Amino acid sequence: MPTNRDDDILDSPVPDPDMEATPSERAHAKAFADIIDKAIAGKTPPAMSADDRALVEVATVIRAANGQLELSANRQRSLVEDALRQAVGGVAASGSGAGVTPIARPRAKKWVPWAITGLSTAVAAAAVLVLWLRAPETKVVEKPAVAKVPASWTSRPADPLIGPIAREQAGDASSRIDYIFADRLDGYRERRMTPRGGKP
Amino acid sequence: MKPWKPVVIVALLTSAISITFVACSANDRDASPPSQTRTAEPTDVIDEQLMVALGQAKNFHRKAKVYMSDGNLAAATTSVRQILSLRFPAGAPEAEDVRNDARALLAKLLVSQNQVEEAMTTVSEGLAQSQRESFFVANLHTVQGEIHEARAAAADAEGEPGKVRAAEERRKAIAAYDRSIQINEKLQKQLMEER
Repeated sequence: MPTNRDDDILDSPVPDPDMEATPSERAHAKAFADIIDKAIAGKTPPAMSADDRALVEVATVIRAANGQLELSANRQRSLVEDALRQAVGGVAASGSGAGVTPIARPRAKKWVPWAITGLSTAVAAAAVLVLWLRAPETKVVEKPAVAKVPASWTSRPADPLIGPIAREQAGDASSRIDYIFADRLDGYRERRMTPRGGKP
Repeated sequence: MKPWKPVVIVALLTSAISITFVACSANDRDASPPSQTRTAEPTDVIDEQLMVALGQAKNFHRKAKVYMSDGNLAAATTSVRQILSLRFPAGAPEAEDVRNDARALLAKLLVSQNQVEEAMTTVSEGLAQSQRESFFVANLHTVQGEIHEARAAAADAEGEPGKVRAAEERRKAIAAYDRSIQINEKLQKQLMEER
């Protein structure tokens, strides 16, 4: 048969639900009810057993979760006035830390990352625009100076060599190609025989 | 991780990359300028490719001459035609001169084989493809005049109906000779001034 240990209610075995409460249990229940009443009235006893304190905390949480907490009329009035003052740019009159938290502060916190994002994006866009809209590069193309070589070494029109072609020689292309070939061969050989960098 | 953090990181990275690109692009402009000197080889001077092409043209002309002396005008024509498809170095002035001279001979060969229209086409193509005036272009105009004369002779042979056409061809022949003379005079004057 289980035994009840009233001085250790949380650690002792759970009694049978049909079992009659002992006088000790009744006395403990009455004492705890007084503590709860005081806690609701805002006058929680400074000293109580660890088990009682744990139970009081649980009771407080349950009560708060039920939404049955109500602020006193003075406290309500004070909070509303603080909120209104902050709304018009004033400073909260109640200097306590439990004053109304300004709405503007969280909003400012939300703006910071988006401001950084916007600024970075603007910088990136500006960089892209700079690349795109940059004035076209004006390259001064200077014609490379060709190393001077004798005209006879170069590929050139055959007009000075052949001269005007008479009508009766219009079909004498064979003779003309002989002249052109011989002349260009001379120039080619001369160029090939001359050491590089040396004067012809 | 807060939801806005990836957005901020991406934006910062994008701007950093963009700025890096701009900086690199600016550095490119400061690159050293290209060299201002170069050797004359191989674009301007007489090179192997030009000599090979000229040598081949010379051989085709020689072949054509042998065929002509043998009376084989068709083979001579084929030989001269091959000169037109020789590959010369790009931009070599000799290429145009050699081709125009070959066209003049080819046209005369075609006329002698009564292929007057093909001869005219050969000459006209040469004139159209020429990039500059030369004695060879003037020679093409001379041959063009001869072709017009050949056309006039053919029109005359038709009798009365061809007389108008013959007169027109003679007028064109004179115009072609005049053009040839004009080019020759201009070029001779230029050569005299250069000397």
